[in-house]
Amino acid sequence: MRTFRGGLLIGLVVAAAVAAAAITYERYDTKTLKRTVRRGEVLCGVNTGLPGFSIPDDKGNWSGFDVDFCRAVAAAIFDDPKKAKFIPLDANERFKELQNRKVDILSRNSTWSMSRETNYDLYFPAVAYYDGEGFMLPRAKNIDSALALDGSKVCVQDNTTTKLNLSDYFRANNMKYQEMKFEKLDDVVKAYDTGKCDVLTADASQLYALRLNLAKPGDHVILPDIISKEPLAPVVRERDDDWMLIVKWTLYAMINAEELGITSQNIDEALKSKKPDVMRLVGTEGTYGEDLGLTKDWAVRIIRHVGNYGEVYERNVGSGSKLGIPRGLNQLWNAGGIQYAPPIR
Amino acid sequence: MIKFRQLIWITIASIGLALSVAPGFAQQPDRGDEPGMIPDDSVELAPEYQKQMVYYRSTEPAGTIIISTAERHLYLIQGNGRALRYGIGVGRDGFQWQGMVSITKKAEWPDWTPPPEMIARQPYLPRFMAGGPGNPLGARAMYLGATVYRIHGTNQPDTIGTAISSGCFRLVNADVADLYGRVPVGTKVIIRQKPEL
Repeated sequence: MRTFRGGLLIGLVVAAAVAAAAITYERYDTKTLKRTVRRGEVLCGVNTGLPGFSIPDDKGNWSGFDVDFCRAVAAAIFDDPKKAKFIPLDANERFKELQNRKVDILSRNSTWSMSRETNYDLYFPAVAYYDGEGFMLPRAKNIDSALALDGSKVCVQDNTTTKLNLSDYFRANNMKYQEMKFEKLDDVVKAYDTGKCDVLTADASQLYALRLNLAKPGDHVILPDIISKEPLAPVVRERDDDWMLIVKWTLYAMINAEELGITSQNIDEALKSKKPDVMRLVGTEGTYGEDLGLTKDWAVRIIRHVGNYGEVYERNVGSGSKLGIPRGLNQLWNAGGIQYAPPIR
Repeated sequence: MIKFRQLIWITIASIGLALSVAPGFAQQPDRGDEPGMIPDDSVELAPEYQKQMVYYRSTEPAGTIIISTAERHLYLIQGNGRALRYGIGVGRDGFQWQGMVSITKKAEWPDWTPPPEMIARQPYLPRFMAGGPGNPLGARAMYLGATVYRIHGTNQPDTIGTAISSGCFRLVNADVADLYGRVPVGTKVIIRQKPEL
């Protein structure tokens, strides 16, 4: 009798444990890397079309900063940046599609915020691009600081955090302004371009794209001041730590490469370097790649095929692109910005 | 038939021309200084080399100059996370340096006395040249510490953004005059190079 009861108890405990494990498995995916390797490509959720960040050409070839980041992850895993498949997602469906495992990563100019991590069971591994609200105004006004905008007429899109930030900023700095709000961004731009307001406000990366479409882009300047925090980051599912670490350290490898002066052009030279921090990054010392579940040359693959952080920035949104966005906050921490990667060691 | 032959010759000639000209453009060092050349002030700098206010975080006090040779930018720190940024031309490979110096002297339309080591390398250079528009030092010069290096103007505005000099930092004349008016003797200058592999 005792043994029967004991057996029953053990059986129940085992059954409960199995059920709990099953539920956990159901809820949290921990096999993203395995599935990605078996499938032979990384599935990347990207913006449906945003110049400089992710946009397809007429042949369906994707390019942009977010696109290149996903290619870097593919390069780290497969030594082939082409093993990334891009799935355009709109703002409303993006997080759900990531949870439903339709994509492995969101690389889609998503702002990292607390509620997004806590409410959606998602994780933002590291900031890829520091964006924030800025101001555009006619060059002829000869203003070079946002603090000199007192008394301006400001065009802004209605029902956005942009509008709220604008109000906060002017109130905090004891300045007055007249708000000209419009439902649609197109109307905001039209109003500005026809001189109905002195200043247009939107996220800085957006301002550079909008400027291209003005009647005379060269007649307008974008102030260096950034008045809000919009840290854009890739997103992965929570609790798949192995995968999260690959995404996180892909970005950090690119930032560290720039800091160490390693580019897609001199990567072979870097492989011969005797500098310890270069050796750790390119895998001629240590087992950092293996510890990540990848190969010794994981970072070399990223840098060779896609480039370091600065190369990817300049090519897509910086001086090598039509947008021409100055590095600003996205410059390295030791060169005027705040991009900072923990060391590889 | 003749037309066809002409076409071939034109093709060959243009390939030859391209080959002979291309290295001169690709590797600016071959171009060297051109004393006596009057600058073309209508040259418009690429947007990233035009003078502009930018975001720049620094623990250095306002008024400090930070030069990034890799970026080809000179920053004049304004404080409050801002800097005035100018496009510059820098030293060619082997002629780049880094360190901290200060401006020890300022001069308008400076005379040019190329240092002996420069004459040794470039024997065609004049031993002395009076200041003026054809002078490679351009409209203004700011002397850096006790070195032979200067922040100066140029009579070759199209070399901004390149690595061509013997270690000096050049700005277009309008920019160097603007900078000159903003910085006194004693200004701290930090020169940063890209890291070595």
